[in-house]
Amino acid sequence: MAIRAVRRFGEGLRRTLVLAALTAPLPVVGVTVGWFGALFASTWTDDMHAPLIVRGLVTAGQVLAVLLWVAGALWMTHALTSRPLAEAARRRARRWLGLELEVAYGGIAPVTRMATGYWWDGREYHKSEREARRRAVMNARFHDPQVRWDGLWALVAGVTVFPVTALPPVAAGVGVWLAGSGRTVIGVLILVLSLVAGASAGRIFRPVAVRFLGPNAGTRLRELETLQADLTQTQAAELERIERGLHDGAQARLVAMGMSMQAAERMVDADPEAAKAILAEARASSRAALEELRSLVRGINPPVLVERGLVDAVRALALDVPVEVTVHAAVPARPERPVESAMYFAVAELLTNVAKHAHATCVLVDLGYADRTLTASVTDDGVGGVASPAAVPRSSGAGGSSLAGGSSSAGGSSLAGGSSSAGGSSPAAAGSGLLGIARRMAAFGGRLEIDSPVGGPTRATVSVPCVL
Amino acid sequence: MRVVIAEDLFLLRDGLVRLVQSYGHEVVAAVDSGPATLDALLKERPDVAVVDVRLPPTFSDEGLQAALAARREIPGLPVLILSQHVEQLYAGELLADARGGVGYQLKDRVLDADQFMDALTRVAAGGTALDPAVVAKLLGRPRRADPLATLTDRERSVLALMAEGISNTAIAARLFLSEGAISKYTTTIFAKLNLHPDDDTNRRVRAVLTYLNATNADA
Repeated sequence: MAIRAVRRFGEGLRRTLVLAALTAPLPVVGVTVGWFGALFASTWTDDMHAPLIVRGLVTAGQVLAVLLWVAGALWMTHALTSRPLAEAARRRARRWLGLELEVAYGGIAPVTRMATGYWWDGREYHKSEREARRRAVMNARFHDPQVRWDGLWALVAGVTVFPVTALPPVAAGVGVWLAGSGRTVIGVLILVLSLVAGASAGRIFRPVAVRFLGPNAGTRLRELETLQADLTQTQAAELERIERGLHDGAQARLVAMGMSMQAAERMVDADPEAAKAILAEARASSRAALEELRSLVRGINPPVLVERGLVDAVRALALDVPVEVTVHAAVPARPERPVESAMYFAVAELLTNVAKHAHATCVLVDLGYADRTLTASVTDDGVGGVASPAAVPRSSGAGGSSLAGGSSSAGGSSLAGGSSSAGGSSPAAAGSGLLGIARRMAAFGGRLEIDSPVGGPTRATVSVPCVL
Repeated sequence: MRVVIAEDLFLLRDGLVRLVQSYGHEVVAAVDSGPATLDALLKERPDVAVVDVRLPPTFSDEGLQAALAARREIPGLPVLILSQHVEQLYAGELLADARGGVGYQLKDRVLDADQFMDALTRVAAGGTALDPAVVAKLLGRPRRADPLATLTDRERSVLALMAEGISNTAIAARLFLSEGAISKYTTTIFAKLNLHPDDDTNRRVRAVLTYLNATNADA
């Protein structure tokens, strides 16, 4: 009992010290710069004799100068320390208080070349790609909205958490010093009081953390904006790919067919045998054009999905995957088409990943609907160790993960090249596909969760809120 | 033969009608929607029907459903399903009643008139005519303890053609082998797959398809 009390007491003290350290930089730098700045500024007017009004103006100028210095110092400190300190504070909040304060930092924005020849870094245009990339990195470090929120946390915590948590240790030091210099009673008293206060000073952390460390309305809005930007970009990439597929594939073949038919027409009287050969060739290319169109269509909107809905489409998908897949489904009705499509491509991508990376022998796909949430989980007995994609980051470039989640293994090459690296068997390639799923799901307020211990089994679950 | 044709695209419907007529058969009904298909199948009881999977009014798999419903009413009613894309799932549903008289082909197979009409005749005779694309998928399906792995390449190609529903004579012609050689191959294949050899082409094809259609053929 007593041991536990002592241990709790010690833990309280430790937390107080850690919090003081985590919130120190801004107030310490601010006060130090302010203090020494004021001292330095006061030397300007050491032996000044002037009318009162002039002295008043000069003093105002001095104050302004000091304020500027403090602001500059705070700004630099914020840029260098706010994010790591806020992240450390969030980790402590999770460990000590069980607070899940999930925020998303925008990664380094993709750099895209515009039709004008300028490079867009997500905020502004630049003349060269190198400059745009450099700026994108800078923006990610200094202009990320979440970093600003972290700065606000550092500021608020600097004037709330820091004084409360830093006072007890300072007081304890004063107590020890007093006791050492002969005033034992008062010294010990102050020491004891400061220790008692220190044990519970850490409690100020929770209310401040809840208000300033977690996601806020602004964050959610920004996430949505980010999503929108992402979707716009992936959609553009998608359209481009469809267009290219039609342009270089079916369209070109149809032109060639027209030409061979014309040639056959010319030769039909002179050389009927050659004309026949050309016509046979034309028929072969019409077949190839059809094949191409088929795989394109599969990537845009798989026919089975249109004809049968999600459950049967997933069943059809399972038949085409070169691993043994069992499908369990308990879905009362067809969800909305966009949700259905997103779900389908998510499952397709997950199954493709399993087939490619997991070395699994059997896979279970489970479709269910409960509490207004449609879920699909893909469980495999493979090697595991799949990293979860971060929560909807901004960092994938155009042509990264496509709108249509992944490649359905059916129908050969699919339109939707889930992972950007060709044939990528690297974890990164698998990851980008997962990122695509996560992003696509997030557009519908859904999520992707991955539970994959090394050695398996891996269970990936996509869930989307919807009313059936 | 008396043929019913169900296809919603006018050009293709018209082309199919002409094609079937040019081979000397009679088209008793040419329809363009799911309900009309079911009516025509039940009323006319054709020798064979050519049905598009996707038909109005819903543009889901109405044609397939109509064909399956008609076969429930009239067991073994010969139906050749046409589609822009082939799905193992649909093939499995068509083969599920194990009565034969079903075909499932990609629409562009119509371009090869002789082969298409050959498939149609096979279906009308109670045989099967599966698209090579479906057969390839069936053959590629994973199984526990896969006896297919023990087949030689030549045996595999014979098995694939057999699964499409082609007779020994035709397989021999396609692979440039004698009929005797083909029946030797089929005997070996059946032994390797633990299937009962059968002289009747249709029953034999059905055995193969049942085998391929089982998700896990635990041999």
